[in-house]
Amino acid sequence: MTSGPGVGIVVVSHSRALARAALALASEMLHGRRVRIEIAAGLDETTFGTDAVQVKHAIEKVDGPDGVVVLMDLGSAVLSAELALDLLEDPAIRERVILSSAPIVEGLVVAAVAASGGASRSEVATEARNALLGKAAHLSVPDQDAAEVASTPVGDEVVGVFAVANRHGLHARPAARLVGEVSGLDAAVTLTNLTTGTGPVPAASLSRVATLGAQEGHRVEVRASGPQAQEAVEHVLALAARSFDETTETPVLPELAPTAGPVAASPGIAIGPVRRLDVAPV
Amino acid sequence: MSDDVTTAAFGAWVRRFAELVAQERDHLTELDSAIGDADHGTNLDRGMKAAVAALDEQQPSSAGPLLTKVGMTLVSTVGGASGPLYGTLFLRMGSTLGDVPVTTPEQVATAFRAGLEGVVARGKAQADDKTMYDALAPALDALEAALSDGLGLGDALTRARASAEAGRDATIPMLARKGRASYLGERSVGHQDPGATSVTLLIAAAADALG
Repeated sequence: MTSGPGVGIVVVSHSRALARAALALASEMLHGRRVRIEIAAGLDETTFGTDAVQVKHAIEKVDGPDGVVVLMDLGSAVLSAELALDLLEDPAIRERVILSSAPIVEGLVVAAVAASGGASRSEVATEARNALLGKAAHLSVPDQDAAEVASTPVGDEVVGVFAVANRHGLHARPAARLVGEVSGLDAAVTLTNLTTGTGPVPAASLSRVATLGAQEGHRVEVRASGPQAQEAVEHVLALAARSFDETTETPVLPELAPTAGPVAASPGIAIGPVRRLDVAPV
Repeated sequence: MSDDVTTAAFGAWVRRFAELVAQERDHLTELDSAIGDADHGTNLDRGMKAAVAALDEQQPSSAGPLLTKVGMTLVSTVGGASGPLYGTLFLRMGSTLGDVPVTTPEQVATAFRAGLEGVVARGKAQADDKTMYDALAPALDALEAALSDGLGLGDALTRARASAEAGRDATIPMLARKGRASYLGERSVGHQDPGATSVTLLIAAAADALG
């Protein structure tokens, strides 16, 4: 039975408890957005194993016109998922299922965020596949082979800068909030960590935003082009002013003075169309 | 033809395989503890018991649906890789044989060959990866050779069993390249593969019940 738009996600794991816990972690990132996610895990509540028939039912449950991305843990989870594809009676469903090689925990988090933002199934699968970039970047040299940001500004660019107020920096939850804020807007948005020089990365990609390494106090430039460039930058700055809705933190306003007119965000000369950005009243 | 195989014989094969798996369950698990996650015997025993229970509840009256029913039961009850692998083996045999009351020895061999191809498509194993393939492939080669040499099905399956046993024993010095054992690398050498062991029981059961 097919459902509405948006990519569906299936989690195949030997352990039902593990799959449920991964789902709970990922759900924290969705901030109320709905994503169709089903688990097909364990033979029962406690017995480890996978069942291709369970996987087939899960695929059918989350299927829709945008298709399905399947995440699997190891070994027989993959065999069961592949067998599930063979068991699907409707070849049209089979055509729109992608089996992802992503790790199950990190992959589910980024896949859920991407799907909630309206990404296509191939975009969701790409995000999931790149899910380890953030961790890798934090631990060592950032991945040199990461996909280049292909961005040619369309029309005028809008630029803003914010300082990260969150005590733990722009970690997974606020990053997911930021990604959610810009996805769905008709704008190409990038982020650059001005303090470390990392970036630009596409603001719509959680796996790439995770590589910015933006810690508390770091200054991050948000740059947008496209029909909704203005809204995109305004939304991001407003969100940053609220510490990305991290409720455990006391929001710290960025340094822009609300009524003093344009303030240089960085030393030096900027050339380009000027947009005045006011801090929205809270 | 006295060599034709009835549906009842296929049912007897499944039950005989379940019996052998139950007998060898601890041995299979022991082999799997050395080079796996120690659940092959438990998983396959659970699956085969469920398959027999499904047949006891309602045994299809032709070979294809019977083997398909066994395959689907295994898929949902084994839990480990043997579920999709043995499941696919039986499902392919079932769809190859179709809804017929008796099968010729040649049809049985063709069905086995389709089953092996299904296992390879599913698990992507090759010769010497140290898997069930290393016992099943030689067994089917021997079965086909024996039948084309004019032997009856019983004798052909006896030869197939001998080849399966030889293939199973040959896995001992192999380095595992598939499955959990492959994570062990060199430590997998010197241990008999559990999958090759259980599939040898499948061929042995066939020699007992189909010949």
